[in-house]
Amino acid sequence: MIKIENLEKVYKTEEIETTALNGINLHVKEGEFVSIMGPSGCGKSTLLNVMGLLDKPESGSYKFIETELLTLNDRERSNFRKRNMGFVFQNFNLIDELTVFENIELPLIYNKVPAGERKKLVNEIIGRMNIVNRSGHFPQQLSGGQQQRVAVARALVTKPKLVLADEPTGNLDSTHGNEVMELLCELNETGTTIVMVTHSSHDASFSNRIINLKDGHVISEKINKGRTEELI
Amino acid sequence: MFKLNLKIALRNLWKYKGYTSINVFGLAIGLASCILIFIFVRYQLSFDKDYANGDRIYRMVTSWKYADGNEFYSQGVPLPLPAAVRNDFSQFEKVAAIQQSSGIVKAKALPGKAEVKKSESIYYAEPSFFEIFDYKWLAGNPNQSLTAPNTVVLSEKAANTYFGDWRKAIGNTLILDNKTDFKVTGIIKDNPQNSSFPLEIIFSYVSFNSKNSKDWGSVSSSWECYVLLKKGVLLSELDKPIQQFLNKYENDKDASGKVGHTVQPLKTIHHNDNYGNFANKYMPYKQIIGLVIIGLFLLLTACINFINLATAQAISRSKEVGVRKVMGSRRKQLIWQFLSETALITFIALLLACVLSELTLPKMENLFGGDVTFSLFGHPIIFVFLLVMLVVVSFLAGLYPALIMSGFSPALAIKNKVTANAGGVGLRKTLVVVQFAITAILIIGTLVVIKQMSFIRNKSLGFDTQAISLVSLPQDSLSKLKYNGFKERLSGIKGVKNISFCSAAPSSDSNNETSFTYNSSKRVDFQANVKAVDEAYFKTFGLQLIAGRPIAKSDTIKEFVVNETLIKKLNVKNPNEAIGKIMTLWGGKGPIVGVVKDFNNYSLHEKIAPMAMFSRKSNYRGIAIKLDVADIGNTMKQVESTFNTMFPDYVYENEFFDENLKGFYETEQIMGTLFKVFASVVIFISFIGLFGLISFVATQRTKEIAIRKVLGASNLELIKMLNNSFLWMVLIANMVAWPVAYIFVKNWLAGFEYRIDLSIWPFIFAMLISMSITIITVTLRSYRAAKANTIDALKYE
Repeated sequence: MIKIENLEKVYKTEEIETTALNGINLHVKEGEFVSIMGPSGCGKSTLLNVMGLLDKPESGSYKFIETELLTLNDRERSNFRKRNMGFVFQNFNLIDELTVFENIELPLIYNKVPAGERKKLVNEIIGRMNIVNRSGHFPQQLSGGQQQRVAVARALVTKPKLVLADEPTGNLDSTHGNEVMELLCELNETGTTIVMVTHSSHDASFSNRIINLKDGHVISEKINKGRTEELI
Repeated sequence: MFKLNLKIALRNLWKYKGYTSINVFGLAIGLASCILIFIFVRYQLSFDKDYANGDRIYRMVTSWKYADGNEFYSQGVPLPLPAAVRNDFSQFEKVAAIQQSSGIVKAKALPGKAEVKKSESIYYAEPSFFEIFDYKWLAGNPNQSLTAPNTVVLSEKAANTYFGDWRKAIGNTLILDNKTDFKVTGIIKDNPQNSSFPLEIIFSYVSFNSKNSKDWGSVSSSWECYVLLKKGVLLSELDKPIQQFLNKYENDKDASGKVGHTVQPLKTIHHNDNYGNFANKYMPYKQIIGLVIIGLFLLLTACINFINLATAQAISRSKEVGVRKVMGSRRKQLIWQFLSETALITFIALLLACVLSELTLPKMENLFGGDVTFSLFGHPIIFVFLLVMLVVVSFLAGLYPALIMSGFSPALAIKNKVTANAGGVGLRKTLVVVQFAITAILIIGTLVVIKQMSFIRNKSLGFDTQAISLVSLPQDSLSKLKYNGFKERLSGIKGVKNISFCSAAPSSDSNNETSFTYNSSKRVDFQANVKAVDEAYFKTFGLQLIAGRPIAKSDTIKEFVVNETLIKKLNVKNPNEAIGKIMTLWGGKGPIVGVVKDFNNYSLHEKIAPMAMFSRKSNYRGIAIKLDVADIGNTMKQVESTFNTMFPDYVYENEFFDENLKGFYETEQIMGTLFKVFASVVIFISFIGLFGLISFVATQRTKEIAIRKVLGASNLELIKMLNNSFLWMVLIANMVAWPVAYIFVKNWLAGFEYRIDLSIWPFIFAMLISMSITIITVTLRSYRAAKANTIDALKYE
């Protein structure tokens, strides 16, 4: 589904140039759950941002089901993103002024889904995520785990082909962290492709494949047998 | 501690340079406008205040009430009134008659000084005038200088003009109208600009020709009478004696109007537009109040900016507040700290405001035709005003933010966990609404003023105003003999199209009303405005006759032309019916030969009067010359030289009619300009405030904007979102502003007898203006926010 070739990304400040991605090649199949690991500053978040069309690389190619995405302009990138991708962040990034229901509804509004259908879709996903009794609450009234459930629900409500997760358990304790990981696995089992950046090998163990980055290079790839077999 | 606080304050101001400059600049412009308004209002209120007995000085004035409800007022009194008042009232300590006139004043050549000859405004005053008004005498004194016939007192300036140096003037001679010699017996110090008494040349009242007139039936606005109330006498004690006085002297049962005399306090002479004054300068209290309200609006708008930005910024200071509280600071100390920061900003703004107003003062002087000089620090009261402004603005703008900031809970503040709404979003929104309501009111006001002024400029007055020159004529009997010769010589000049003798132009501030009879021997129950004109008057001014013909050539009253209003008031339906009816007035009798289409004989503030026109050479005051527009300059030069040849002893005075008419609306022009300028200032302040606020909101919502972007919001959608909240506020503000503005402009327009119909357009237009400026401001700033890097916003909280 995803073919990334020779991706390069350089950050420039007044004094120094930092190469964040240095000729990355990466293929992700449909329905795969890929973890990206590596030490701080290895470029994993940059890679995720490029995959989510939040950032532009200097060179290389990024094909998503045969469509080259790096040549798109701002508007096309925005459109492509809202139709095909969902995001889960470490710090949840919910809007404090909106309720749980409204937060989840937001991507549907931007996708111009009619109100009736929006309501149906949001209620459906709220049910799936076990947060029905929280739908009228504001983010600050929820625990971290509940907030991340809401964030996941928001990422999934548009039924994206790809979910990008950036340290989804980073701000959670282990119990809530595990809950979220299990949720992602369930999702993956229903066919959603997931790319996750993480520091935690425990979290990575939930995925099919683990890619290790260092200094902007892919230094190793590991197939997670237990999970792959399940997939087969 | 103070030094430390000051340091923190200055560093904070520096850290948030953008907000600081918006705050300081907005406040400075608001303060500068207030300073200018203060200087102007102080000047207007300072008129005639410098007399020792000022609070006991009154002017006797006259009014007429007519059966049809019309009322007329005059600052003048009948000539015999001052003597009668002196006789009949025990409540007055002094009574003085003063008479304004004009004449050609000449001083013979002195060694080293050429002859000076000028057409001047002159006065005849009783010595008691100078006992009521304590002028400073440089030479002579009030008890001696004006007691004898043929004596004259000069102002320092006039004495310098005629004799080179006022010290040389005493004992010298001035010649009035080439006839009478007057001996200079006194010099008074020049009047200040803020005086309703521009007295320069004052002749002794005993030299005045009509001093012994017994005619109670005529009143001229130039015959004034002042009285000094005895100490301790109340105004109410005058009611009965005045009534007795009226019964005794003004008891003409046949008179068409009921005459009344009252006393008008000196301090209102500059402010009451029912009556005029010698200086012809007045500023009604209504206008002054209007300006003060605008000033308060300006100050309020600037303060609102300040409160909005300060409370919005409060969050960024929360950590400092937390730390200070943990270290033992009491809330009171924090309040003082923040208040003194506001005072510091206000002080900086005030300094800037002083510079701005100093730069603007010459413009304000220009607005008044340069005859007024304003100075920023000419009066100690300005310093008091500045100090009061500093304190008031510091408290008004600083107290609320100080209360908010000092109220943060230390535990939350120290962890930077004070919520973004701590500054009172509701209050901020309310303030923005208030600010925009003020802006909308001023926009509506300005639009209506502009529209009405252009209506006045373009309204057809019923006569020609273009290329007509009004030349004054000498009034002595010898000169009158030369009138026809003068006219003949003028007709010979190329470029002169028509010439007419007249007592006044169709619209003029010199008016005479008189009673008359129509088709019977009984006097009609209203008065007619009269003009003495010759046969060419109608053609010269382009007046249209709707029946009959112009009056025929004559030196005395033979025939009349009346206007539509007059015959309507007489219930004559068809103008032709009036033709041939006999009228008598001013001792003349004759048929009506024509009816002229109504034209505005006063300013558009007033209704058209019933009018009668007739020929009467003795009343011609000037000559109106209709010119060919092609070569006005050259033609006028020839007119001048013809005048000087014909009347070598007189001074040529010429005025263009259209310029003259503009003088009717001088106050409105000035107010209109002030309105426009200050409305722009308020709009400007509101919108830089809005820009500051939207900047803050955009920063505060950076994360939200980023999340929305990640979820698929386009830049346009984000800009729309940010615009929406502000547009709602502006919409509400306009709704609030409409009724208030309606009351204001309705009231203002009521002062014009001829006015525009108040339509909804200025209101709609004000809304469109405020909304489009809001959209532009918000879009400019929110585009930047929408374009900002999403990842940064999401990563770093």
